[in-house]
Amino acid sequence: MKRLFSLTAALTISWSGSTFAAGETIAVFTKNLTNPYFQAVRVGTETAAKALSVKVIQYVPTKPDSIPEQLSQVEDVIVKKPDAIVFIPVDYKALVPAVEKINAAKIPVTNITDRSAAGDFVAFVGADDYSIGLAVGKRLLTAMGGKGNVVILEGVKGSLTSTNRVRGFTDALKEFPNAKLLASQPGNFQRLNALQVMENLMQSFPQIDGVLAANDPMAVGALEALEGAGRKAQVVGINGSKEAVDLIKSGKLLASGDFNGFIQGCVGTEIAVRNLRKQPTPKEVMLKPIVVDKSNFAPYETPVEQRACPALEQVLSN
Amino acid sequence: MSMTGKIAAPRFALSGDVMQMLYRVLAVVLLSAILAMLSDVFLTANNILNVLRQTALLFLMASGLTLVILTAGLDLSIGANVALSGCLAASVIKLTGAPLAGVGVGILCGTMVGLANGVLVTALRIPSFIATYGMMWMLTGVTYYYMGGETIHGFPAGFRQLGSGYLFGVPTPVYVMVLFLAIGALFAQRTIWGQQIYAIGANPVAARLSGVPVERRLVLVYTVSGAMAGLASLIILARINSAQGDIGEELTLPAIAAVLVGGTSLFGGSGTVAGTLIGALLLTVVLNGMNLLQINSSWQPLATGIIILLAVWIDTRTRRLGE
Repeated sequence: MKRLFSLTAALTISWSGSTFAAGETIAVFTKNLTNPYFQAVRVGTETAAKALSVKVIQYVPTKPDSIPEQLSQVEDVIVKKPDAIVFIPVDYKALVPAVEKINAAKIPVTNITDRSAAGDFVAFVGADDYSIGLAVGKRLLTAMGGKGNVVILEGVKGSLTSTNRVRGFTDALKEFPNAKLLASQPGNFQRLNALQVMENLMQSFPQIDGVLAANDPMAVGALEALEGAGRKAQVVGINGSKEAVDLIKSGKLLASGDFNGFIQGCVGTEIAVRNLRKQPTPKEVMLKPIVVDKSNFAPYETPVEQRACPALEQVLSN
Repeated sequence: MSMTGKIAAPRFALSGDVMQMLYRVLAVVLLSAILAMLSDVFLTANNILNVLRQTALLFLMASGLTLVILTAGLDLSIGANVALSGCLAASVIKLTGAPLAGVGVGILCGTMVGLANGVLVTALRIPSFIATYGMMWMLTGVTYYYMGGETIHGFPAGFRQLGSGYLFGVPTPVYVMVLFLAIGALFAQRTIWGQQIYAIGANPVAARLSGVPVERRLVLVYTVSGAMAGLASLIILARINSAQGDIGEELTLPAIAAVLVGGTSLFGGSGTVAGTLIGALLLTVVLNGMNLLQINSSWQPLATGIIILLAVWIDTRTRRLGE
């Protein structure tokens, strides 16, 4: 099995190792090949790498979010000894032993997106799920005039991402006492699940005015369910994905919280390189939550492949 | 043993199967009665149609799989097959603007994958669990590579009727489900090929000796399973109006569960396509009930597990009492 994983890792490398500069080598770990968010992260790392003349090698579990697979990829990478690592753990607790091995091998590692529970890192770069949930929740409730019936579509139960986003949603609801939370049910971050859950909830509730979905695919699932039933409600999601931006443009989706994977990839890589080149680096970069809606979606229409990384100073001053 | 003797055996089992089915229906009725007491919307016509539409998808995936399991085989690649067939169909629809071309490509892709499984199992003699597990990985790899983390969305309204439309007030997928239930049941129970499939599951050596073309029938069941996955992928596309590299992945285990809860034996030779419908219905009702009652999401997995075990236990219990 381990051999299979290494083999697939090797295939992944040949597929995405498109930057061949003379400089340092950075190994980048992301969670899966399916979620567009991580694709944006990978593009961010490669865009930054090109600008900084370094080489990045992508490591992605073939089975999405597989803990054993990422563990064995880390072991392989330690043997290959890249100059630095940019790391998103598939699980913030389960990958701690892997981080400790990286630390023991004295390879500098920058943590992005999901904060590891332990380990020594050059820096952490992320956006806070709670603040994004809160901001997007407020956007929905303001659009609803502060009143009406709301349902929440949760992600995978027990995942930190879902827990924090949902906490942001419920705290936003507390600020609008005239809005009523009808139900909070799990859609597992999957659009088909969200679609069916929404269909079921519409059976119980004749009037649903707003839907808070913990990611964009679920928001789209909810929209399809509403459309299928000939009903209308304001829907928000999280990720700022291309699909969500298209739907915002056509007026179907109200808003999407931007987790900004592209910038996280950019900043994580730049910090890793600056650290190698003995330049000063921040210990922590928290990106401010941005709510993408009808008023500001235009820049998001540019595909990530064509975007440029922002200057680190500019990100830090925001 | 003569050929007719071999084929007569499952016919006898048929009346037993009908009884089994009644017990399974009883389990669903019992669960529904409880839900009806707890929620006043559960038994409304609207919700029943809603549940049936959700059942349709699971049933379509599980119906082809039923034939495979009847031969004592397994097809673990159906979820990955749905993903690849769905994504290919989605791109074709996007490129050509012709839903029919997409439908053709989706079903063709699913069928070819199934055929490949059949060849692996028969010509290469790889055990079905391993053959289809390997196939699952290959399909997933190809799909992820092809999609590169992107999503394809927005299909023509005509195509989406297949998933979200209604005909005389009944959701379109329900008609598809009923059609394939009829075809599946007739094929398995009333055709010589269907009877041969039962015979292979019951005793492959005896089946071969009595003249059943075992390899050809095995290729057939895997091909049918693949074709049904291809068809299911189209219903998913039409329902969610988009395609992503991981669609259908989460449906493999529920589809296997629907077949087994529906009374088909993992050891082959006994079970029915209609039973699989009951299994799919039970699993769907459980989720529907939890949403209607707004069971806290922390408790849902536990509740799902308990209800499935209870339903199967009631079924085996009552069946034993009946004997």
